[in-house]
Amino acid sequence: MPSSFLALTSFKDKYSTSPSSFQVSSGREVMENSVSLQESSLAPSNGTLGNSSLSPSIVTDHMCASALPHVQHSHNPAFISQSSRDLASLLPLDASFSQSTASLIHTQGNKDVSWSLDRLQMFLDLPENTPAPNQLVESSTSVLASEDHNKKTNWQEWADDLINVVDPDWSKILDNTNVLNPRVELPKPSGDISKQQPQFHQNQLVPHGEFSSHAYPSSTAPPTKPRMRWTPELHEAFLEAVNQLGGSERATPKGILKLMNVEGLTIYHVKSHLQKYRTARYMPETSEGTSEKRITSIEEMKSIDLKTSIGITEALRLQVEVQKQLHEQLEIQRNLQLRIEEQGRYLQMMFEKQKKVEDEKGGAPSSASDDLLAPLPGSKHPPCNNGKSDSEALEQDHSRTGIGPGNAGTNEDKSSSGVSTKQKMPETESTVHDESGFSVSKRARTEK
Amino acid sequence: MLFHILITFFSNKTHFSFNLPLKKKKKLKFGKRLKQQIEETFPTWRDQFLCYKELKKLIKLISSALPMAAEPTKYGKAKAEFVYMLNNEINKFNVFFMEQEEDFIIGHKELQQRIKTVMDKWSSNGSRTEYNDEMAEIRNDIVDFHGEMVLLENYSNINFTGLAKILKKYDKRTGGLLRLPFIQKVLKQPFFTTDLVSKLVKECENIIDEVLFPIEEDKEETKEQKGAIMVATEPVKGIFRNTVVALLTMEEIRRVSSTKDHFSLPPLNLPHSHLIHSFQLNSPIPIL
Repeated sequence: MPSSFLALTSFKDKYSTSPSSFQVSSGREVMENSVSLQESSLAPSNGTLGNSSLSPSIVTDHMCASALPHVQHSHNPAFISQSSRDLASLLPLDASFSQSTASLIHTQGNKDVSWSLDRLQMFLDLPENTPAPNQLVESSTSVLASEDHNKKTNWQEWADDLINVVDPDWSKILDNTNVLNPRVELPKPSGDISKQQPQFHQNQLVPHGEFSSHAYPSSTAPPTKPRMRWTPELHEAFLEAVNQLGGSERATPKGILKLMNVEGLTIYHVKSHLQKYRTARYMPETSEGTSEKRITSIEEMKSIDLKTSIGITEALRLQVEVQKQLHEQLEIQRNLQLRIEEQGRYLQMMFEKQKKVEDEKGGAPSSASDDLLAPLPGSKHPPCNNGKSDSEALEQDHSRTGIGPGNAGTNEDKSSSGVSTKQKMPETESTVHDESGFSVSKRARTEK
Repeated sequence: MLFHILITFFSNKTHFSFNLPLKKKKKLKFGKRLKQQIEETFPTWRDQFLCYKELKKLIKLISSALPMAAEPTKYGKAKAEFVYMLNNEINKFNVFFMEQEEDFIIGHKELQQRIKTVMDKWSSNGSRTEYNDEMAEIRNDIVDFHGEMVLLENYSNINFTGLAKILKKYDKRTGGLLRLPFIQKVLKQPFFTTDLVSKLVKECENIIDEVLFPIEEDKEETKEQKGAIMVATEPVKGIFRNTVVALLTMEEIRRVSSTKDHFSLPPLNLPHSHLIHSFQLNSPIPIL
């Protein structure tokens, strides 16, 4: 049931274009091994839709984990030339690991992270933690043996993929504003891999594009799984096509794809979506169709005497109430977070501007900073040593601006008390010289 | 009669099952809270959360081994590795989130379809009981569906919070300036752009309010008992329990902290918070 994904083509692109990256072409083979092993090993997973998401994440983490040692192996000359004598001592270790990492199979992201931790430990020449990797190797060699035959065919297909890959249209990708538009941006022709689906994701590539052009020296792009993001509109088009073709059982992916006629949509997207759709339809007891989630089914509730004492409807009502509350609070919190970050960014901009002015004038006259601070929107707040009112003002601002529809009740306490003026620049004076950013002042805050 | 016995049973339990009065409880660290949330969540979701602990370890490693000024190239590489790990995490969130989102889009449509079908079939001419039965099933499903979507929103948020905290830690311990630019990217990620799910949730609420339930206010006390019963009798890791956990966790995380700055969220102001707290009193498995 779970459809497995490949991160390969864009992932490879990323790595081939970043010369100083950890991950390099020689690392690809290892990753391909990992991926193919992953896919075969994922076959027996539960028939739950939730699980299908495990495969990409496993692959991702996995590729991360296994890529590094291999790369270090190939990058050795560079390391030595940088006179990292410490690293030179690690070379023999790397050589042996490069073979064994190919067989690594993790089932939890956490293990991969600690695996990377181990790698970094060695890199930093800290006390090595060799037992761990070896253990992992041993546990998975058996799987490796059985999956070996898959490797070669997959490589071939992936190589074919590489040839066919269309260059991502970066301008399109970087414009990732509209949620409602079909997020089908990257055409990704795939080979004859039936189980594997090249997925692309518009938004995913944006930050990576931006990351690699950023200050970071090495490639910051993880193995990307280009994934398509479905929207209700797209789904409606899908449904129309399906109905025209005689229903979910009779419609074929190819036919649906043709009828939908959406640019960039591939048959693999349609296939996986159709699969999900069929599952959702024919398990009408729950909309998801996953056994774990059929928890508060009526049958179970009926079987519990206690519950009938409060009535099913009332139980449901209570559940809805709690859920509604959580949703509301999450909305508020999210808005707050957005505002906070926005302010942070604004402050940073100001900080940089001010610094620029200072640099230009060659030693900061205070008038320069005043000039910058003066024309800011919002009323001026008297500079206070007590940071409390600043944070309160900021956050009350946040509370108010963060109020969306339906939040009226919950934030009244916050808005009514405390400072009412808008405060945009609470801390610039004190934090300007702090290299580590803005989180300097600790403030006391009265409990409400 | 049975009900009376239950009430006294529960209220007696109140006295003894509480270890600490809530008000004096110390604020636990985010890592612990996250861990709790992960333990409580659906089994299939467990691997999808932020590897907060590991990232913290990584920061410790980097900060202890590489003061930034001393060995800039090594630091640069360590930083890149850290960023790489973060990106991996983000990728994980994105993939999982979009997968769930797709399911929700499909499920939402299906629920609407089911309601329409049932209404067309039975409301005009059909037998009342069959209508009620089918509606009851739909009602149950839609409430759970709503709950799952909200829990996905919670998933998104808690992971974002974790990322923000980790980045803050990184900057603090290594003297780096990673947080601000990085978080800007995170804000745009699919897993954090939850507008669609939010919209679906609201639509669900509308359906629930208008079509499925007559609105009736329960007294607080009866709500308490009902909630307690629900938590106590619900199969483990149910949606209701998860939701309560999420609310309580959020409240805890946002309690006044020692490292407050203007990136910190203010304390949570939960309506009926005592009600929600009461739900955990009689749970066989302590929630928090």
